[in-house]
Amino acid sequence: MTTFLKALGNLFRTPATVPYPFAPTYLPDTYRGLIKHDASLCIWCRKCETACPPGAIVFSQAMDGKQAYHYNTHVCIYCGECVRACPKAGALIQTNEMAAPVTAEAKINHSWNGIVKEALAGREAYAAERRKAAAAVAAAKAAEKAAAEKKD
Amino acid sequence: MKRTLTIPMGSQHIALLEPLHFRFTCENEKIVGVDADVGYVHRGIELACASKFKFRQVSFVVGRVCGLCSISHTTAYSQAAERLLGLDISKKAKYLRILVIELDRLHSHLLCLAHTAENTGFEALFMQIMRDREASMELLELVTGNRVQFDYSCVGGVTRDITTDIEKELTRKLAKLKTDLEELYEVFRTNWSLSLRYKGVGALNAQQIKELNAVGPLARAAGVAIDVRSDTEDLLPWKEVGYKMMVEQTGDVYARNIVRFREMFNSFEIIENVLRGMPQGDLVTETKANPQGEAVSRLEAPRGELFYYIKGNNTPVLERVKIKAPTFSNVAAFIEIFKGQEYASVPPILASLDPCLSCTAR
Ligand code: SF4
Ligand code: SF4
Repeated sequence: MTTFLKALGNLFRTPATVPYPFAPTYLPDTYRGLIKHDASLCIWCRKCETACPPGAIVFSQAMDGKQAYHYNTHVCIYCGECVRACPKAGALIQTNEMAAPVTAEAKINHSWNGIVKEALAGREAYAAERRKAAAAVAAAKAAEKAAAEKKD
Repeated sequence: MKRTLTIPMGSQHIALLEPLHFRFTCENEKIVGVDADVGYVHRGIELACASKFKFRQVSFVVGRVCGLCSISHTTAYSQAAERLLGLDISKKAKYLRILVIELDRLHSHLLCLAHTAENTGFEALFMQIMRDREASMELLELVTGNRVQFDYSCVGGVTRDITTDIEKELTRKLAKLKTDLEELYEVFRTNWSLSLRYKGVGALNAQQIKELNAVGPLARAAGVAIDVRSDTEDLLPWKEVGYKMMVEQTGDVYARNIVRFREMFNSFEIIENVLRGMPQGDLVTETKANPQGEAVSRLEAPRGELFYYIKGNNTPVLERVKIKAPTFSNVAAFIEIFKGQEYASVPPILASLDPCLSCTAR
C-alpha cells in the first residue's frame, strides 16, 4: 500500500532525470577526459605513444628532426596511461573535459590513419637520413685515421 | 488437447537486455524444451589481448569485455599478471580495489533487481530502483573518473587514489542509498503481487546447482555456499573487511532477489570498513620484468566466479589469455530452470538470472 501511495505521489514530484543537453549532467572534477599536451615542456621521448593502448597519440618528425604531437580524441579511451608514462611533469595532463561528438564530415578514421601513416613514414625517412649521415661521418673518420696511420 | 509450439525469443526482444537467443518448446503454456545461443557478441578479445596489446595494456582491453563488471575483469587480469611477475602489491591498492569492486556490485545488483521488477510488470518500481541506483553510478564516476569504464586496476596496483572530499561524498551518498535500499528491500519481501511472480518460480535445488556447476547469486540462493571471496584471502583481504557469505534456501526468483539485497547490505559494511581502515602505501608497484609462465586468478564478480588464465613467454605480449565469465558457467543452469515453467514466467526468471552476454561471448 505504501508503495502504491508513493508511486502515486511521484506523479506530483519534479523529475529525477536531468534535461540534458539543456542542463548540465553530473560531472565530477575527477572525471577522466581529454588529454592536453604542452609542447614547451615535452622532451619528445615518445613514452606516451608507446604506453597508449589504442594508439591515440603519434609523433611526426620533420626532416630537421623537429617532432610534433598528434592526438585523436575519438581513438582515445581516456585511460590516463600516457600521463602516468610521461617522465616530465606537466607535459601531459588529463582534463575533465568531455570530447565533442564526432560528425561524419570529420572523416575521423581516414584522416587519422593518414596522419599515423605519414608520421611513421616521416620518422623512418628522418632515421634513414640520420643513419646515412652517421655512416658518412664514420667513413670520413675512418679515412682520416687511415691517412694518419699512413703518415706515421 | 496438447499442442507443441516452438517459440523463439531473442536475439532482440523487448524483455531481453542482452543479445541472447532462446527457443522454447511449449506444450500449451508449459515449457518442455529449451535451446540457447549465447554467442552473438563475440569480439575476439582474447586473441587481441594475446597479439595486439602489451601485457600492461591488456588490463584496459579486458575492462571493455563487460560494461557492468569492468572492474572485475581488470582486477582479475591484473591479479593473474601480478602472479606471473611475482609482484606483491601494497595493501592500500588492495583496499582500493575492494572499494570499487563493492561499489560496482551495488550498481550491478540494483540493475538486476530493477529489471526483475520491470519484467514482472512493475514499471514504477523499476524507475524507483534506477533512480536510487544513480547514487552508486555517481560515486563510481567520482572515484574512478568514469561511469562505466573504470580503468581502475592496472598491473601492479590501482590508477588513482581517493581524497578526503571523495571519502566524505562516499559516506554521505551511501548512507542515503542505504535507507533507499531498506525501503526497496521491504517492497521485495512483502509486496503480495510481486510474491506471486517470484515465490516458487524458476527454482533449482542445491543438488541441481551442484550438478550444473552454477555459480554466484544463483547458487547461493539455492543454499550452495560458494563465493570466491570466501577463499581467496591471499589476493584480496575480504574477511578482514567484513565479508559475509549470504545464502538463501529456496532457490527461486524470490531467493535470488533476497541474496542480492543482503549482499548489497554487506557491501555497505565492507565499504565502510575499507574507508575506516585505509592503510598507507604505494598505489602502484612497478616492475620492469616481462611475464613468464602460466597463472590463473579468480574473483567474485557480481554474477559469480570470474576466472582468468594467462600465459607469458618472457616478451611484452602474452601468449594466451583465457576468460571464463560467470554467465558462461551458468548457461547450463539457465536451460534447466526454464523446463516445466509457464511461458509467462520467462521474463522475470530471465531477469533474475542476470545474464551478461558480453562477458560470455567476449
Ligand atoms: S588517455 Fe589512454 S587512450 Fe588516451 S591518449 Fe592517453 S594512453 Fe592513449
Ligand atoms: S611522454 Fe611526456 S615528455 Fe615524453 S613525449 Fe610524451 S608528452 Fe612528451
